[in-house]
Amino acid sequence: MINITGLEKIYRTEEVETVALNKLSFEVKDGEFVAVMGPSGCGKSTLLNILGLLDDPDDGSFLFNGIEVAKFNERKRAELRKRNIGFVFQSFNLIDELTVFENVELPLIYLGIKSDERKKRVEEVLDKVQIMHRRNHYPQQLSGGQQQRVAVARAVVNKPKLILADEPTGNLDSSNGNEVMEMLTDLNEQGTTIIMVTHSEHDARYSHRIIRMLDGQTVTENILV
Amino acid sequence: MLKNYFTIAFRNLWKNKGYSFINILGLTIGMASAILILLWIQNEVSYDNGYPSGNRIYTMFNRDKFNGELWAWNSTPKIMAPTIQHDYPEVEKISRYENITFLVTVGDKKLNGRGAFADSSFLSIFGFPLLKGNATQALAGNYNIVLTQKMAVKLFGKDDPLGKTVRIDSNANFTVSAVLKDLPNNTSFEFEYLLPWAYMDKLGWNDAYWGNNEVKTYVLLKPGASVAAFNTKVKDITTSHSKETAKVFAYPFSRLHLYGKSENGQLVDGQVVTVGLFGMIALFILLIACINFMNLSTARSEKRAKEVGIRKVAGALRQSLIGRFIGESVLLSLLAFLLAILLVQLVLPFFNQLVGKQLFIDYSNPWYWLAALSFIGFTGLLAGSYPAFYLSSFTPVKVLKGTFKQSNALVTPRKILVVLQFTFAIVLIISTIIVQHQIQFAQTRDTGYDRQHLIYAFTQGDVDKNYKPIKQDLLKSGAVISLTKSANPITQRWSDGWGYMWEGSTETDKKVDFVRLGTDADFIKTIGITLLEGRDIDIYQYPADTAGVMINEAAAKILRLPHPIGQQLRREGEKPRTIVGVVKDFILESPFEKKISPMLILGPGENYFQIIHMKLNPARSASSNIATIEKIFKQYNPQYPFDYAFADESYARKFKEQQRTGTLAILFAGLTIFISCLGLFGLATYMAENRVKEIGVRKVLGASVLNITALLSKDFLQLVLISLLIASPLAWWAMSQWLQNYTYRINIEWWVFAGAGLLSILIALATVSYQSIRAAISNPVKSLRSE
Repeated sequence: MINITGLEKIYRTEEVETVALNKLSFEVKDGEFVAVMGPSGCGKSTLLNILGLLDDPDDGSFLFNGIEVAKFNERKRAELRKRNIGFVFQSFNLIDELTVFENVELPLIYLGIKSDERKKRVEEVLDKVQIMHRRNHYPQQLSGGQQQRVAVARAVVNKPKLILADEPTGNLDSSNGNEVMEMLTDLNEQGTTIIMVTHSEHDARYSHRIIRMLDGQTVTENILV
Repeated sequence: MLKNYFTIAFRNLWKNKGYSFINILGLTIGMASAILILLWIQNEVSYDNGYPSGNRIYTMFNRDKFNGELWAWNSTPKIMAPTIQHDYPEVEKISRYENITFLVTVGDKKLNGRGAFADSSFLSIFGFPLLKGNATQALAGNYNIVLTQKMAVKLFGKDDPLGKTVRIDSNANFTVSAVLKDLPNNTSFEFEYLLPWAYMDKLGWNDAYWGNNEVKTYVLLKPGASVAAFNTKVKDITTSHSKETAKVFAYPFSRLHLYGKSENGQLVDGQVVTVGLFGMIALFILLIACINFMNLSTARSEKRAKEVGIRKVAGALRQSLIGRFIGESVLLSLLAFLLAILLVQLVLPFFNQLVGKQLFIDYSNPWYWLAALSFIGFTGLLAGSYPAFYLSSFTPVKVLKGTFKQSNALVTPRKILVVLQFTFAIVLIISTIIVQHQIQFAQTRDTGYDRQHLIYAFTQGDVDKNYKPIKQDLLKSGAVISLTKSANPITQRWSDGWGYMWEGSTETDKKVDFVRLGTDADFIKTIGITLLEGRDIDIYQYPADTAGVMINEAAAKILRLPHPIGQQLRREGEKPRTIVGVVKDFILESPFEKKISPMLILGPGENYFQIIHMKLNPARSASSNIATIEKIFKQYNPQYPFDYAFADESYARKFKEQQRTGTLAILFAGLTIFISCLGLFGLATYMAENRVKEIGVRKVLGASVLNITALLSKDFLQLVLISLLIASPLAWWAMSQWLQNYTYRINIEWWVFAGAGLLSILIALATVSYQSIRAAISNPVKSLRSE
């Protein structure tokens, strides 16, 4: 599914040049669940942004399903992104002005799906994450765990092939955290590829493989399964 | 404490330069507009109010019924003043007044100056300050002349004019008896020199006919005299001395300018309506600028909420916080005021030209300073009070715990304020379109005659005497293809009269007022009107035409004669006139009047000719034609400059007042929109900042730039649409009232509202789109990373 070789990303300010990704290469196969770990500033988030087609690399190759996307423009990236990738953030990133239902519905609207079809699919996924009873509440009215379940629902509602999770349990207590990890595992078992950035060894153990990064490079890979 | 407030306020302004700039720019423009309008209002309100005994000065009015309606007007018979003076002991002084234009000559300096005849008491009634001479003596004697300072300088330069000689027309020499300080900018009198009434007698222009309402009569009542008692007595003065039917009353002169409109015989409102309207516009423009301040302050409140919370925890009382925020707005309004004064000084000459006045800021007047201070205080409080109370009301616990969140309610004060701004702006846009449409509508109206290549000149000096050779030479020269002597320019009504009788006319027909014109010959050909029946007047071919008359269609309708040609019009004291022709109606007076007055175009008789109309040869250039004509006039009338006017330019002046209104409407609409958009821009900036996270999330989820731009613009467009809904009926009502002033008027059509709506939406969209698009194209990675 994902094949990157020699990926480079350098941030420049007036005085400092920071190498975020230094000729990084690895591969993620269809249906894999990969955890990316490493200390702060090792390039995890940059990697996730590039994998999520939110940012482009300075150099190197990025094959997504066999297509070279490293040089895609914003419009093409957006098109590919909204059909194939779901995001789960540490801070949930729900829109405060929208209800649970409307938050989850959003990706479908941007895909141009009709209203009754949207309703069916949103209800289906809300049911799956067991938040159906809160469908008309606003994010502020939910607990952190509930909010993250909504965020997961939003990430999967358009049935993406890949889910990118950026410390999905970082803002949650352990029981809520475990709940979210169970959910991701379920999704993975149903065939969704997952790449998760985490600081938690506990969470990482849910994955098949751990990629450890330091200074923009992979240092080790542990295969857990 | 106060110093502390101002220091902090200043730092805050400095720290948020963008917002401060928007606030100060908006307030500056708002204040400058308000100051200009207030200067104008101050001038209007003080009009004819500065005379030393002003509260005892009255102007005499007539009241009579015409065509079933009561009218009041203040042109009076010349005989009225001496009669009142003689019969009414409560009258201290009385004076007549009539404007005239004479050629004024000193040495080889000749100019046509605006002057007036006045009785000798005129200067002491009004107390115009004299620089030289004696007020009671200045207009005594037959050959004294009083000059204004400006006129004195024009004629004599630096020399002392007192006792020097001025020639009036080519007839008489006058001695300068006094020099007046130039008239103030708030008097309704317009003259550069005054001549004694006695000279009018000398010219034989005075008459004792009670039906000839021609001059103004000003009365100074004795101190303590009751005007009510005077009015009950003076009411019948005209009817008791003549067969005329007008009733007479005295009206306070100081009220005339603002309350001078006759409605059913009563003097009701008038200019005061316009003054009120402008006052409202000034207030609204200021309010709109203040709203920007309110909205931007409260919109940014989330940023300042923490500050308020910490201050409160540290022990600040709410009052002190309110004081702080008000201090900020007063400082802002002080800065804006200083800039506004600069701006006013800069644009005042243009504004004066626009409103046709001589307004200025009188820095030596302490009242102006007091007004300025209260203006700053008022604006500061108006702009600052709402934000002050709003910001100081935050509870520290909520703010500091981070649960503070601004409401996203459907109706927030901020939205209401934006709607208020745009409602006012759209009302002005709609009004502007309607005013322009109405002007254009009247401008394109068929006048019924041909203004092209038509000029008129005044018959001064020897022109009348030498008319025959002048006419011959003009026609021979080829510069003029046709000419006619007339009683008045074709664009002005100079004479009217009632009391006409004809076959089958009734008693009420005697009160029909006919506009009167005059001609010697070739009137139809020169002016280019259409003859419907009969023929043109021509006293050379038909000498009997000295008692001939042409009528227009409107008059023909009133006469109700199946065959008017050959019929006679009779009037007491005049020879009967035979109708020789009927012409199609044409516009002599206002193109905004639907009804065209009945007209009589008389052959020469009791009316004398003062105008020559000339149709220029269209095959040659106007300037060469004029040069030729001027040479011929100079040859036969060397004493006088050749004074002429183009009929189409003179006609265009009929639209001056409306065009002034139109220009002011455009100006204020433009400024209002500009200030409103400044505020909108500020709000859009704030909103884009505030929703940066949401925009990031949406983009990650697949929203396109267009989606985001539409999302961000939508809210503002909603507000503009609501404004349009409120503004449309308001503007419709206001402009329907305005259009009532004109009987020849447009219907207000739906496209005006659609157009105004579209325009305001486009403007609002353009304003917010910069921020919206900027937010939409920003990379979501940046906004989402800041966790």
